[in-house]
Amino acid sequence: MAQPVVQTIHRDPALFWWILLPITVVMILTGILRHYAMTLLQSAPKKQSLPQIRQQRSLVRGFNLRQNANVLTPTSFQARKAYMVSSYQEGKFLADPESRGKPRPNPMSDPAAMEGMMGMMKGNMAMMIPQTLIMGWINAFFSGFVIMKLPFPLTPQFKSMLQSGVGTRDLDVRWVSSLSWYFLTLFGLQPVYNFILGSNNAANQMAQQMGQVNPGAGLMGPEQDPDKLFLSEAENLEVLQHQWILEGVEDRLLAKLAV
Amino acid sequence: MNEERELAISPIVQTSVQHNTQVVSNIRNLTASLFGVAAGTLGLESYPGFIFYLVGTLIVSLLVFAVRAEGKPSEYFHRPLGDLWGGEVFSGLSSFVLTWTLFYGLVRA
Repeated sequence: MAQPVVQTIHRDPALFWWILLPITVVMILTGILRHYAMTLLQSAPKKQSLPQIRQQRSLVRGFNLRQNANVLTPTSFQARKAYMVSSYQEGKFLADPESRGKPRPNPMSDPAAMEGMMGMMKGNMAMMIPQTLIMGWINAFFSGFVIMKLPFPLTPQFKSMLQSGVGTRDLDVRWVSSLSWYFLTLFGLQPVYNFILGSNNAANQMAQQMGQVNPGAGLMGPEQDPDKLFLSEAENLEVLQHQWILEGVEDRLLAKLAV
Repeated sequence: MNEERELAISPIVQTSVQHNTQVVSNIRNLTASLFGVAAGTLGLESYPGFIFYLVGTLIVSLLVFAVRAEGKPSEYFHRPLGDLWGGEVFSGLSSFVLTWTLFYGLVRA
């Protein structure tokens, strides 16, 4: 019958106004700030020379042909394939045909590659700096307060992290200090950003990680040899099994209409 | 080969799939926060709280199934099981815990 004694702490209601609310508001505003900072930091794509654009676009063209081959009639697909493969293999679309077969220069010396790395760095910085700043701010101003009770129990391992600055040995782990409210908001505010900033904002971490793997960058990275890319694309086109989508469409239509 | 052919005849448009996922994710996030408010106000603790969340998401799934997908989930979702019933359940959990803790702290403790 002996119920374990439930620890209760009577807290000043002002703790809500002076700790909980400020942290929440600051977290939301930081997310919005990060979104706009990322938008501003995004450098406009550099203008490329005509042969380079042609090199890039012709590779994309081969890729598109491979993707949408099924809507073409066999004859027109064969004609396109023959043209693309032969020009790929001859290197017609290369930006500088003289350097074909030579080893690529060191990517670190290429200014375009450096720019890409800088962009990635900026993204990471915009993520890291506010987090460190806010952690420091919370530790400096709000440490030592027990502000709330978690509705679910935790193992004692969390005690040192969640009750940092509270020097009470026997206090239940469920009573936590302001730093844990910071962690909760850090992970739980994603939908709030989604509603405020629209779905593809730069405020949340997931988009951050996805943004670093830019799909366009892998296609024609500066460190890849365009000649090799063309040759492999030609090979892909060669082995593609072409199936015209309108083949047997009459039978399918009749089968669909038949009751 | 047969399945590939089916896909080519009636293709899956990536934009529509993304839009549907977005709609489901918005509904889930909003309802997860509201469930957190409810659980905190009711003063649920530990397991009952999480069970409350699971039951709530199940009801939301049923509602999405009945209202938004009009009972035909295969027309709106590529994989109905994963995208409608199981999708986004755990991404809503963090916002549920946030509002749950907040309202529990405000109302009860």
